[in-house]
Amino acid sequence: MYTFFLVILLAASTAFAHAEDVPRHNSSMWDYYHQRLLDKQNFVFDDRVQVKTPPFAEDARQVPIEVDARSLSGTTQKIMLWAELNPIPQIMTVTPGEQLENLIAVRIRVEQATTIRAAFLQDDGLWHVGTGHIEAAGGGCTAPSVIRAEEGWEKHVGKIFGAHHLRDNSSILRMHISHPMDNGLSGNIPEYFIDQAQLRDDSGQVLADFELFASVSENPTLTLALKGKRKARLWLRDNNGNQFSARF
Amino acid sequence: MLRLFCSIFLLGYCLTAHAMYGLQPKQVANNTWVLEGSTDNFSNENGGNIVNIAFIVTDVEVILIDSGPSFAYGRELATAIAKITDKPVGRILLTHHHPDHMLGSQAFPGARIAALAETAQLMQDEGDAMAENMYRMVGDRMRGTEVVMPDTLLEAGMLELDNYRLQLLQLRGHTNADLAVFDPQTGVLFAGDLVFYQRAVSTAHTPSIAAWLEDIETLAALPWKVIVPGHGPVARNDAPLQQMRDYLGWLDQLLTTAAAQGDDMNNIMRTPIPKRFADINLTEYELVRTVNHLYPAYEKAYWQQLSE
Repeated sequence: MYTFFLVILLAASTAFAHAEDVPRHNSSMWDYYHQRLLDKQNFVFDDRVQVKTPPFAEDARQVPIEVDARSLSGTTQKIMLWAELNPIPQIMTVTPGEQLENLIAVRIRVEQATTIRAAFLQDDGLWHVGTGHIEAAGGGCTAPSVIRAEEGWEKHVGKIFGAHHLRDNSSILRMHISHPMDNGLSGNIPEYFIDQAQLRDDSGQVLADFELFASVSENPTLTLALKGKRKARLWLRDNNGNQFSARF
Repeated sequence: MLRLFCSIFLLGYCLTAHAMYGLQPKQVANNTWVLEGSTDNFSNENGGNIVNIAFIVTDVEVILIDSGPSFAYGRELATAIAKITDKPVGRILLTHHHPDHMLGSQAFPGARIAALAETAQLMQDEGDAMAENMYRMVGDRMRGTEVVMPDTLLEAGMLELDNYRLQLLQLRGHTNADLAVFDPQTGVLFAGDLVFYQRAVSTAHTPSIAAWLEDIETLAALPWKVIVPGHGPVARNDAPLQQMRDYLGWLDQLLTTAAAQGDDMNNIMRTPIPKRFADINLTEYELVRTVNHLYPAYEKAYWQQLSE
Protein backbone atom coordinates (compact mmCIF):
# COMPACT_ATOMS: atom_id res chain seq x y z
CA MET A 1 0.00 0.00 0.00
CA TYR A 2 2.74 2.45 1.03
CA THR A 3 4.69 1.70 -2.09
CA PHE A 4 1.62 2.45 -4.12
CA PHE A 5 1.28 5.87 -2.49
CA LEU A 6 4.97 6.51 -2.94
CA VAL A 7 4.70 5.78 -6.62
CA ILE A 8 1.74 8.11 -6.92
CA LEU A 9 3.58 10.79 -4.95
CA LEU A 10 6.67 10.40 -7.08
CA ALA A 11 4.67 10.55 -10.26
CA ALA A 12 2.85 13.62 -9.00
CA SER A 13 6.04 15.35 -7.93
CA THR A 14 7.73 14.78 -11.27
CA ALA A 15 4.64 16.06 -13.01
CA PHE A 16 4.72 19.17 -10.83
CA ALA A 17 8.43 19.63 -11.32
CA HIS A 18 7.84 19.49 -15.03
CA ALA A 19 5.07 22.05 -14.82
CA GLU A 20 7.18 24.37 -12.67
CA ASP A 21 9.96 24.24 -15.23
CA VAL A 22 7.68 25.78 -17.78
CA PRO A 23 4.78 27.40 -15.92
CA ARG A 24 3.60 29.29 -18.97
CA HIS A 25 3.13 25.99 -20.78
CA ASN A 26 1.14 24.48 -17.93
CA SER A 27 -2.52 23.64 -18.33
CA SER A 28 -4.94 21.05 -17.01
CA MET A 29 -5.80 19.92 -20.53
CA TRP A 30 -2.29 19.27 -21.84
CA ASP A 31 -2.25 15.51 -21.19
CA TYR A 32 -5.62 15.11 -22.84
CA TYR A 33 -4.58 16.86 -26.04
CA HIS A 34 -1.15 15.25 -26.02
CA GLN A 35 -3.00 11.96 -26.20
CA ARG A 36 -5.88 13.00 -28.45
CA LEU A 37 -4.14 15.16 -31.05
CA LEU A 38 -0.46 14.26 -30.83
CA ASP A 39 -1.05 10.56 -30.26
CA LYS A 40 1.24 10.63 -27.19
CA GLN A 41 4.25 11.22 -29.41
CA ASN A 42 7.40 12.79 -27.99
CA PHE A 43 7.27 16.52 -27.54
CA VAL A 44 9.12 19.46 -26.10
CA PHE A 45 7.78 22.83 -24.99
CA ASP A 46 9.75 25.23 -27.13
CA ASP A 47 9.71 29.01 -26.83
CA ARG A 48 10.84 29.29 -30.43
CA VAL A 49 7.24 28.48 -31.22
CA GLN A 50 5.76 31.88 -30.41
CA VAL A 51 2.00 32.00 -29.97
CA LYS A 52 0.93 35.62 -29.93
CA THR A 53 -2.49 36.52 -28.58
CA PRO A 54 -3.98 39.75 -27.30
CA PRO A 55 -4.06 40.02 -23.49
CA PHE A 56 -7.86 39.70 -23.64
CA ALA A 57 -10.50 38.93 -26.25
CA GLU A 58 -12.16 42.22 -27.11
CA ASP A 59 -14.47 40.38 -29.49
CA ALA A 60 -14.74 36.67 -28.63
CA ARG A 61 -15.95 35.98 -32.19
CA GLN A 62 -12.79 37.43 -33.76
CA VAL A 63 -9.71 36.74 -31.65
CA PRO A 64 -6.45 37.22 -33.53
CA ILE A 65 -3.86 34.46 -33.06
CA GLU A 66 -0.42 34.64 -34.62
CA VAL A 67 2.01 31.73 -34.60
CA ASP A 68 5.61 32.44 -35.51
CA ALA A 69 8.02 29.50 -35.46
CA ARG A 70 10.42 30.73 -38.13
CA SER A 71 13.39 30.30 -35.79
CA LEU A 72 12.83 26.53 -35.45
CA SER A 73 15.61 24.56 -37.10
CA GLY A 74 15.05 21.65 -39.46
CA THR A 75 12.06 21.02 -41.64
CA THR A 76 8.48 20.93 -40.47
CA GLN A 77 6.30 17.94 -41.26
CA LYS A 78 3.04 18.91 -39.58
CA ILE A 79 1.52 21.88 -37.78
CA MET A 80 -1.44 21.77 -35.42
CA LEU A 81 -3.23 24.67 -33.76
CA TRP A 82 -5.91 24.35 -31.12
CA ALA A 83 -7.73 26.22 -28.35
CA GLU A 84 -7.91 23.91 -25.35
CA LEU A 85 -11.21 24.94 -23.80
CA ASN A 86 -13.20 25.56 -26.96
CA PRO A 87 -16.17 23.30 -27.77
CA ILE A 88 -14.45 22.83 -31.13
CA PRO A 89 -10.82 22.91 -30.01
CA GLN A 90 -8.98 22.42 -33.29
CA ILE A 91 -8.24 25.48 -35.41
CA MET A 92 -6.18 24.06 -38.24
CA THR A 93 -3.81 21.31 -39.24
CA VAL A 94 -1.18 22.05 -41.85
CA THR A 95 0.92 19.75 -43.97
CA PRO A 96 3.58 22.15 -45.18
CA GLY A 97 5.75 21.91 -48.23
CA GLU A 98 9.32 23.18 -48.16
CA GLN A 99 8.32 26.63 -49.32
CA LEU A 100 5.89 27.40 -46.51
CA GLU A 101 7.22 29.69 -43.77
CA ASN A 102 6.31 28.81 -40.20
CA LEU A 103 4.18 31.93 -39.85
CA ILE A 104 0.41 31.75 -39.56
CA ALA A 105 -2.11 34.31 -38.38
CA VAL A 106 -5.78 33.49 -38.06
CA ARG A 107 -8.79 34.90 -36.22
CA ILE A 108 -10.77 32.44 -34.14
CA ARG A 109 -13.81 32.17 -31.91
CA VAL A 110 -13.32 31.48 -28.22
CA GLU A 111 -16.07 30.28 -25.93
CA GLN A 112 -14.19 31.06 -22.70
CA ALA A 113 -10.73 32.01 -21.50
CA THR A 114 -8.41 29.35 -22.90
CA THR A 115 -4.90 28.18 -23.55
CA ILE A 116 -3.92 28.25 -27.22
CA ARG A 117 -1.41 25.67 -28.50
CA ALA A 118 0.68 25.46 -31.62
CA ALA A 119 2.58 22.22 -32.25
CA PHE A 120 5.21 21.78 -34.97
CA LEU A 121 6.38 18.26 -35.82
CA GLN A 122 10.03 18.68 -36.87
CA ASP A 123 12.33 16.23 -38.60
CA ASP A 124 13.97 15.53 -35.22
CA GLY A 125 10.83 13.48 -34.53
CA LEU A 126 9.63 15.81 -31.77
CA TRP A 127 6.53 17.96 -31.55
CA HIS A 128 7.75 21.46 -30.66
CA VAL A 129 4.91 23.03 -28.71
CA GLY A 130 4.26 26.71 -28.07
CA THR A 131 1.63 28.16 -25.78
CA GLY A 132 -0.49 31.28 -25.61
CA HIS A 133 -3.33 32.29 -23.39
CA ILE A 134 -6.38 34.40 -24.03
CA GLU A 135 -8.62 35.97 -21.39
CA ALA A 136 -12.24 36.17 -22.45
CA ALA A 137 -15.70 36.88 -21.13
CA GLY A 138 -16.58 34.25 -23.68
CA GLY A 139 -19.49 33.29 -25.83
CA GLY A 140 -17.72 33.63 -29.17
CA CYS A 141 -18.59 30.15 -30.41
CA THR A 142 -22.29 30.36 -29.64
CA ALA A 143 -22.90 33.99 -30.62
CA PRO A 144 -25.28 34.51 -33.53
CA SER A 145 -23.70 35.00 -36.92
CA VAL A 146 -23.05 38.59 -37.93
CA ILE A 147 -23.01 38.08 -41.67
CA ARG A 148 -26.18 35.96 -41.75
CA ALA A 149 -27.97 39.09 -40.54
CA GLU A 150 -26.83 40.93 -43.68
CA GLU A 151 -29.16 40.96 -46.65
CA GLY A 152 -27.83 38.98 -49.62
CA TRP A 153 -24.85 37.45 -47.80
CA GLU A 154 -25.16 34.30 -49.91
CA LYS A 155 -24.05 36.16 -53.01
CA HIS A 156 -20.69 36.95 -51.43
CA VAL A 157 -19.82 33.50 -50.14
CA GLY A 158 -16.37 32.50 -51.28
CA LYS A 159 -15.25 35.98 -52.37
CA ILE A 160 -11.64 36.51 -51.44
CA PHE A 161 -10.01 39.86 -50.81
CA GLY A 162 -6.39 40.21 -49.88
CA ALA A 163 -2.88 41.34 -50.65
CA HIS A 164 0.57 40.00 -51.40
CA HIS A 165 3.40 41.61 -49.46
CA LEU A 166 7.13 41.12 -49.87
CA ARG A 167 8.90 41.29 -46.52
CA ASP A 168 12.22 40.00 -45.20
CA ASN A 169 12.61 37.89 -48.32
CA SER A 170 9.21 36.28 -47.74
CA SER A 171 5.94 36.50 -49.58
CA ILE A 172 3.26 37.37 -47.04
CA LEU A 173 -0.21 36.40 -48.22
CA ARG A 174 -3.06 38.08 -46.38
CA MET A 175 -6.70 37.37 -47.11
CA HIS A 176 -10.30 37.69 -46.03
CA ILE A 177 -12.71 35.01 -47.23
CA SER A 178 -16.45 35.70 -47.15
CA HIS A 179 -17.95 32.66 -45.49
CA PRO A 180 -20.24 32.19 -42.45
CA MET A 181 -18.14 29.31 -41.07
CA ASP A 182 -21.21 28.02 -39.22
CA ASN A 183 -20.07 25.73 -36.45
CA GLY A 184 -23.43 24.11 -35.68
CA LEU A 185 -23.53 25.64 -32.19
CA SER A 186 -25.89 28.54 -32.69
CA GLY A 187 -29.26 29.38 -34.17
CA ASN A 188 -30.17 25.85 -35.24
CA ILE A 189 -27.90 26.31 -38.23
CA PRO A 190 -25.99 23.18 -39.24
CA GLU A 191 -22.24 23.14 -39.76
CA TYR A 192 -21.28 24.98 -42.90
CA PHE A 193 -17.62 25.90 -43.07
CA ILE A 194 -14.49 25.80 -45.19
CA ASP A 195 -12.67 22.64 -44.19
CA GLN A 196 -9.99 22.35 -46.84
CA ALA A 197 -7.46 24.69 -48.37
CA GLN A 198 -4.43 24.28 -50.55
CA LEU A 199 -1.71 26.70 -51.55
CA ARG A 200 -0.33 25.96 -55.00
CA ASP A 201 2.30 27.58 -57.18
CA ASP A 202 1.70 28.79 -60.73
CA SER A 203 2.24 25.35 -62.20
CA GLY A 204 -0.27 23.74 -59.83
CA GLN A 205 2.36 22.19 -57.54
CA VAL A 206 1.10 21.96 -53.94
CA LEU A 207 2.92 24.29 -51.54
CA ALA A 208 0.89 23.42 -48.45
CA ASP A 209 -2.26 21.59 -47.40
CA PHE A 210 -4.61 22.93 -44.75
CA GLU A 211 -7.42 21.35 -42.84
CA LEU A 212 -9.58 24.04 -41.24
CA PHE A 213 -12.05 23.69 -38.38
CA ALA A 214 -15.16 25.61 -37.43
CA SER A 215 -13.42 27.42 -34.58
CA VAL A 216 -12.02 29.69 -37.29
CA SER A 217 -14.08 32.92 -37.23
CA GLU A 218 -16.73 33.71 -39.77
CA ASN A 219 -15.30 35.56 -42.74
CA PRO A 220 -11.90 33.98 -42.04
CA THR A 221 -8.96 36.33 -42.05
CA LEU A 222 -5.70 34.50 -42.67
CA THR A 223 -2.05 35.36 -43.03
CA LEU A 224 0.28 32.78 -44.59
CA ALA A 225 3.86 33.12 -45.76
CA LEU A 226 6.04 31.58 -48.44
CA LYS A 227 9.82 31.67 -48.77
CA GLY A 228 11.20 34.13 -51.29
CA LYS A 229 9.37 36.14 -53.89
CA ARG A 230 6.67 33.81 -55.03
CA LYS A 231 3.30 33.91 -56.69
CA ALA A 232 0.63 31.56 -55.42
CA ARG A 233 -2.91 30.38 -55.85
CA LEU A 234 -5.22 29.43 -53.03
CA TRP A 235 -7.84 26.75 -53.44
CA LEU A 236 -10.63 26.30 -50.88
CA ARG A 237 -13.49 23.89 -50.39
CA ASP A 238 -16.34 24.01 -47.88
CA ASN A 239 -18.15 21.02 -46.40
CA ASN A 240 -21.00 21.52 -48.86
CA GLY A 241 -18.58 20.94 -51.71
CA ASN A 242 -18.35 24.54 -52.95
CA GLN A 243 -14.92 25.41 -54.26
CA PHE A 244 -13.32 28.83 -54.32
CA SER A 245 -9.97 30.10 -55.45
CA ALA A 246 -7.80 33.17 -55.45
CA ARG A 247 -4.60 34.30 -57.09
CA PHE A 248 -1.84 36.09 -55.19
CA MET B 1 -9.44 42.66 20.50
CA LEU B 2 -11.23 40.70 17.83
CA ARG B 3 -14.47 42.38 18.80
CA LEU B 4 -12.86 45.82 18.54
CA PHE B 5 -11.44 44.95 15.14
CA CYS B 6 -14.83 43.73 13.94
CA SER B 7 -16.66 46.83 15.09
CA ILE B 8 -14.09 49.09 13.43
CA PHE B 9 -14.47 47.08 10.29
CA LEU B 10 -18.26 47.27 10.47
CA LEU B 11 -18.18 51.00 11.16
CA GLY B 12 -15.90 51.49 8.17
CA TYR B 13 -18.19 49.39 6.04
CA CYS B 14 -21.25 51.41 7.06
CA LEU B 15 -19.50 54.69 6.34
CA THR B 16 -18.40 53.58 2.89
CA ALA B 17 -21.85 52.15 2.23
CA HIS B 18 -23.33 55.58 2.83
CA ALA B 19 -21.06 57.47 0.46
CA MET B 20 -19.49 54.86 -1.76
CA TYR B 21 -18.49 57.12 -4.61
CA GLY B 22 -17.53 60.18 -2.59
CA LEU B 23 -18.92 62.50 -5.25
CA GLN B 24 -17.61 66.08 -5.07
CA PRO B 25 -19.27 68.53 -7.47
CA LYS B 26 -16.81 71.18 -8.67
CA GLN B 27 -18.15 74.48 -9.96
CA VAL B 28 -16.71 75.17 -13.42
CA ALA B 29 -18.84 78.19 -14.43
CA ASN B 30 -21.90 80.16 -13.30
CA ASN B 31 -24.56 77.69 -12.11
CA THR B 32 -22.55 74.82 -13.59
CA TRP B 33 -20.98 71.89 -11.73
CA VAL B 34 -19.02 68.85 -12.82
CA LEU B 35 -18.42 65.55 -11.02
CA GLU B 36 -15.13 64.31 -12.37
CA GLY B 37 -14.58 60.56 -12.46
CA SER B 38 -11.24 58.77 -12.64
CA THR B 39 -9.49 58.05 -15.93
CA ASP B 40 -9.18 54.35 -15.07
CA ASN B 41 -11.05 51.39 -16.42
CA PHE B 42 -14.19 50.02 -14.77
CA SER B 43 -13.39 48.18 -11.55
CA ASN B 44 -14.93 46.99 -8.31
CA GLU B 45 -12.98 49.70 -6.52
CA ASN B 46 -14.25 52.66 -8.54
CA GLY B 47 -17.75 51.26 -8.97
CA GLY B 48 -17.79 52.48 -12.55
CA ASN B 49 -17.10 56.10 -11.63
CA ILE B 50 -14.78 56.75 -14.56
CA VAL B 51 -17.01 59.35 -16.14
CA ASN B 52 -17.73 63.07 -15.96
CA ILE B 53 -21.29 64.02 -15.07
CA ALA B 54 -22.37 67.67 -15.12
CA PHE B 55 -25.36 69.72 -14.09
CA ILE B 56 -26.68 73.22 -14.68
CA VAL B 57 -28.91 74.96 -12.15
CA THR B 58 -31.41 77.23 -13.93
CA ASP B 59 -34.04 79.48 -12.33
CA VAL B 60 -36.53 76.64 -12.30
CA GLU B 61 -34.74 73.31 -12.33
CA VAL B 62 -31.56 71.30 -12.51
CA ILE B 63 -30.51 69.99 -15.93
CA LEU B 64 -28.33 66.93 -15.65
CA ILE B 65 -25.95 66.02 -18.46
CA ASP B 66 -25.61 62.24 -18.24
CA SER B 67 -26.61 60.33 -15.14
CA GLY B 68 -23.69 58.06 -14.22
CA PRO B 69 -22.81 54.36 -14.18
CA SER B 70 -25.23 52.92 -11.60
CA PHE B 71 -28.40 53.42 -9.58
CA ALA B 72 -26.19 53.89 -6.50
CA TYR B 73 -24.21 56.60 -8.28
CA GLY B 74 -27.48 58.30 -9.25
CA ARG B 75 -28.70 58.29 -5.64
CA GLU B 76 -25.44 59.77 -4.43
CA LEU B 77 -25.54 62.32 -7.21
CA ALA B 78 -29.05 63.36 -6.14
CA THR B 79 -27.76 63.91 -2.59
CA ALA B 80 -24.78 65.92 -3.83
CA ILE B 81 -27.05 68.13 -5.95
CA ALA B 82 -29.44 68.66 -3.05
CA LYS B 83 -26.57 70.15 -1.02
CA ILE B 84 -26.10 72.80 -3.72
CA THR B 85 -29.67 73.65 -4.68
CA ASP B 86 -33.19 72.81 -3.60
CA LYS B 87 -34.43 72.95 -7.21
CA PRO B 88 -35.57 69.61 -8.60
CA VAL B 89 -33.71 67.69 -11.29
CA GLY B 90 -36.15 68.32 -14.14
CA ARG B 91 -34.27 66.90 -17.11
CA ILE B 92 -31.49 64.54 -17.97
CA LEU B 93 -29.78 64.98 -21.34
CA LEU B 94 -28.02 61.75 -22.26
CA THR B 95 -25.02 62.33 -24.52
CA HIS B 96 -24.92 58.73 -25.78
CA HIS B 97 -25.97 55.19 -24.95
CA HIS B 98 -22.86 53.93 -23.14
CA PRO B 99 -23.60 52.46 -19.70
CA ASP B 100 -21.35 54.72 -17.63
CA HIS B 101 -23.32 57.72 -18.90
CA MET B 102 -26.90 56.56 -18.61
CA LEU B 103 -27.36 54.02 -15.82
CA GLY B 104 -27.89 56.54 -13.01
CA SER B 105 -31.23 57.78 -14.36
CA GLN B 106 -33.28 55.51 -12.04
CA ALA B 107 -32.46 57.83 -9.14
CA PHE B 108 -34.39 60.69 -10.78
CA PRO B 109 -37.94 59.41 -11.25
CA GLY B 110 -39.28 62.97 -11.59
CA ALA B 111 -36.96 63.96 -14.44
CA ARG B 112 -37.65 63.83 -18.13
CA ILE B 113 -34.97 61.76 -19.82
CA ALA B 114 -33.97 63.09 -23.22
CA ALA B 115 -31.67 61.70 -25.89
CA LEU B 116 -31.20 61.64 -29.66
CA ALA B 117 -33.59 59.22 -31.41
CA GLU B 118 -30.63 57.10 -32.54
CA THR B 119 -29.33 56.98 -28.98
CA ALA B 120 -32.72 55.77 -27.76
CA GLN B 121 -32.64 53.07 -30.42
CA LEU B 122 -29.14 51.97 -29.37
CA MET B 123 -30.28 51.88 -25.73
CA GLN B 124 -33.19 49.70 -26.79
CA ASP B 125 -30.91 47.34 -28.74
CA GLU B 126 -27.83 47.20 -26.55
CA GLY B 127 -28.71 48.78 -23.20
CA ASP B 128 -29.49 45.62 -21.27
CA ALA B 129 -26.42 43.80 -22.57
CA MET B 130 -24.28 46.79 -21.62
CA ALA B 131 -25.79 46.94 -18.14
CA GLU B 132 -25.11 43.21 -17.76
CA ASN B 133 -21.51 43.75 -18.76
CA MET B 134 -21.25 46.46 -16.10
CA TYR B 135 -22.36 43.97 -13.44
CA ARG B 136 -19.53 41.74 -14.62
CA MET B 137 -16.90 44.49 -14.48
CA VAL B 138 -18.04 46.54 -11.50
CA GLY B 139 -19.82 44.02 -9.30
CA ASP B 140 -21.95 44.83 -6.29
CA ARG B 141 -22.27 48.57 -6.75
CA MET B 142 -24.42 47.88 -9.80
CA ARG B 143 -27.04 46.28 -7.54
CA GLY B 144 -30.58 47.10 -8.62
CA THR B 145 -29.45 49.09 -11.67
CA GLU B 146 -31.66 48.93 -14.73
CA VAL B 147 -31.82 50.78 -18.02
CA VAL B 148 -34.38 53.62 -18.03
CA MET B 149 -35.40 54.51 -21.55
CA PRO B 150 -35.63 58.16 -22.66
CA ASP B 151 -39.11 59.69 -22.77
CA THR B 152 -38.11 62.70 -24.88
CA LEU B 153 -36.29 62.71 -28.19
CA LEU B 154 -33.84 65.47 -29.00
CA GLU B 155 -32.86 67.03 -32.30
CA ALA B 156 -29.94 69.23 -33.27
CA GLY B 157 -30.61 72.95 -32.72
CA MET B 158 -31.45 75.33 -29.92
CA LEU B 159 -33.26 73.77 -26.97
CA GLU B 160 -35.43 76.59 -25.57
CA LEU B 161 -36.31 76.12 -21.93
CA ASP B 162 -37.90 78.54 -19.45
CA ASN B 163 -35.27 81.29 -19.23
CA TYR B 164 -32.52 79.00 -20.48
CA ARG B 165 -31.15 77.97 -23.87
CA LEU B 166 -28.85 75.14 -24.81
CA GLN B 167 -27.37 74.48 -28.22
CA LEU B 168 -27.59 70.78 -29.12
CA LEU B 169 -25.27 69.24 -31.68
CA GLN B 170 -25.95 65.86 -33.22
CA LEU B 171 -22.58 64.26 -34.02
CA ARG B 172 -21.43 60.68 -34.57
CA GLY B 173 -17.71 60.17 -34.00
CA HIS B 174 -17.83 58.13 -30.80
CA THR B 175 -20.94 55.94 -31.13
CA ASN B 176 -22.66 57.09 -34.34
CA ALA B 177 -25.18 58.97 -32.17
CA ASP B 178 -23.44 61.55 -29.99
CA LEU B 179 -25.00 64.59 -28.43
CA ALA B 180 -22.79 67.56 -27.57
CA VAL B 181 -24.32 70.36 -25.51
CA PHE B 182 -23.11 73.95 -25.70
CA ASP B 183 -24.30 76.46 -23.11
CA PRO B 184 -24.27 79.95 -24.71
CA GLN B 185 -24.94 81.58 -21.30
CA THR B 186 -21.68 80.33 -19.78
CA GLY B 187 -19.61 79.18 -22.74
CA VAL B 188 -19.36 75.65 -21.33
CA LEU B 189 -19.11 72.88 -23.90
CA PHE B 190 -20.31 69.50 -22.64
CA ALA B 191 -18.56 67.36 -25.21
CA GLY B 192 -19.66 63.93 -24.00
CA ASP B 193 -17.36 61.15 -25.15
CA LEU B 194 -16.47 62.97 -28.35
CA VAL B 195 -13.66 64.34 -26.20
CA PHE B 196 -11.47 62.17 -23.99
CA TYR B 197 -8.67 64.03 -22.21
CA GLN B 198 -5.67 62.30 -20.57
CA ARG B 199 -7.59 59.05 -21.07
CA ALA B 200 -7.24 56.94 -24.22
CA VAL B 201 -10.26 57.02 -26.49
CA SER B 202 -12.62 54.07 -26.58
CA THR B 203 -13.27 53.32 -30.24
CA ALA B 204 -15.51 50.26 -29.98
CA HIS B 205 -18.52 51.96 -31.61
CA THR B 206 -16.99 54.68 -33.76
CA PRO B 207 -18.08 54.73 -37.41
CA SER B 208 -14.54 55.83 -38.30
CA ILE B 209 -11.64 57.91 -37.06
CA ALA B 210 -12.22 60.31 -39.96
CA ALA B 211 -15.81 60.95 -38.83
CA TRP B 212 -14.58 61.53 -35.28
CA LEU B 213 -11.94 64.04 -36.43
CA GLU B 214 -14.64 65.97 -38.32
CA ASP B 215 -16.65 66.21 -35.09
CA ILE B 216 -13.62 67.56 -33.24
CA GLU B 217 -13.43 70.43 -35.75
CA THR B 218 -17.17 71.10 -35.34
CA LEU B 219 -16.67 71.38 -31.59
CA ALA B 220 -13.53 73.48 -31.95
CA ALA B 221 -15.48 76.06 -34.02
CA LEU B 222 -17.93 76.76 -31.14
CA PRO B 223 -17.28 79.85 -28.97
CA TRP B 224 -16.49 77.73 -25.91
CA LYS B 225 -14.70 78.94 -22.81
CA VAL B 226 -14.69 75.68 -20.85
CA ILE B 227 -14.55 72.13 -22.19
CA VAL B 228 -16.08 69.32 -20.14
CA PRO B 229 -14.80 66.07 -21.69
CA GLY B 230 -16.68 62.82 -21.21
CA HIS B 231 -13.59 61.43 -19.49
CA GLY B 232 -10.66 63.34 -18.00
CA PRO B 233 -10.10 66.78 -16.49
CA VAL B 234 -12.12 69.89 -17.34
CA ALA B 235 -10.11 72.38 -19.42
CA ARG B 236 -10.20 76.10 -20.20
CA ASN B 237 -7.89 75.82 -23.19
CA ASP B 238 -7.88 73.72 -26.34
CA ALA B 239 -5.49 71.06 -24.98
CA PRO B 240 -8.20 68.36 -25.02
CA LEU B 241 -9.04 69.08 -28.65
CA GLN B 242 -5.36 69.14 -29.64
CA GLN B 243 -4.82 65.83 -27.89
CA MET B 244 -7.81 64.28 -29.67
CA ARG B 245 -6.51 65.43 -33.07
CA ASP B 246 -3.02 64.18 -32.33
CA TYR B 247 -4.04 60.84 -30.85
CA LEU B 248 -6.73 59.95 -33.39
CA GLY B 249 -4.35 61.02 -36.17
CA TRP B 250 -1.69 58.70 -34.77
CA LEU B 251 -4.11 55.76 -34.59
CA ASP B 252 -5.25 56.38 -38.17
CA GLN B 253 -1.67 56.52 -39.42
CA LEU B 254 -0.67 53.41 -37.47
CA LEU B 255 -3.50 51.30 -38.89
CA THR B 256 -3.06 52.60 -42.44
CA THR B 257 0.67 51.82 -42.42
CA ALA B 258 0.15 48.38 -40.89
CA ALA B 259 -2.36 47.39 -43.57
CA ALA B 260 0.05 48.49 -46.30
CA GLN B 261 2.91 46.54 -44.68
CA GLY B 262 0.84 43.40 -44.22
CA ASP B 263 0.81 43.18 -40.42
CA ASP B 264 -1.75 41.14 -38.59
CA MET B 265 -3.41 42.43 -35.41
CA ASN B 266 -1.07 41.08 -32.75
CA ASN B 267 1.94 43.03 -33.95
CA ILE B 268 -0.01 46.28 -34.14
CA MET B 269 -1.42 45.74 -30.66
CA ARG B 270 2.15 45.64 -29.34
CA THR B 271 3.17 48.96 -30.92
CA PRO B 272 5.04 51.11 -28.37
CA ILE B 273 2.98 54.19 -27.48
CA PRO B 274 4.75 57.41 -28.55
CA LYS B 275 6.29 59.36 -25.65
CA ARG B 276 4.11 62.40 -26.24
CA PHE B 277 1.12 60.31 -25.14
CA ALA B 278 2.78 59.15 -21.92
CA ASP B 279 0.37 61.15 -19.74
CA ILE B 280 -2.69 59.57 -21.32
CA ASN B 281 -4.12 56.77 -19.20
CA LEU B 282 -4.91 53.29 -20.63
CA THR B 283 -3.33 53.78 -24.06
CA GLU B 284 -2.05 50.19 -24.27
CA TYR B 285 -5.36 48.71 -23.19
CA GLU B 286 -7.39 50.80 -25.60
CA LEU B 287 -4.97 50.12 -28.46
CA VAL B 288 -5.75 46.40 -28.19
CA ARG B 289 -9.46 47.21 -28.44
CA THR B 290 -9.03 49.73 -31.22
CA VAL B 291 -7.03 47.32 -33.37
CA ASN B 292 -9.67 44.65 -32.89
CA HIS B 293 -12.52 46.95 -33.83
CA LEU B 294 -11.06 49.19 -36.51
CA TYR B 295 -8.28 47.28 -38.26
CA PRO B 296 -10.61 45.16 -40.45
CA ALA B 297 -11.84 48.35 -42.16
CA TYR B 298 -8.24 49.39 -42.88
CA GLU B 299 -7.46 45.94 -44.28
CA LYS B 300 -10.55 46.11 -46.44
CA ALA B 301 -9.53 49.52 -47.78
CA TYR B 302 -6.09 48.24 -48.76
CA TRP B 303 -7.06 44.83 -50.11
CA GLN B 304 -8.19 43.93 -53.58
CA GLN B 305 -10.45 41.24 -54.88
CA LEU B 306 -8.31 38.17 -55.59
CA SER B 307 -11.05 35.66 -56.40
CA GLU B 308 -10.69 33.84 -59.70
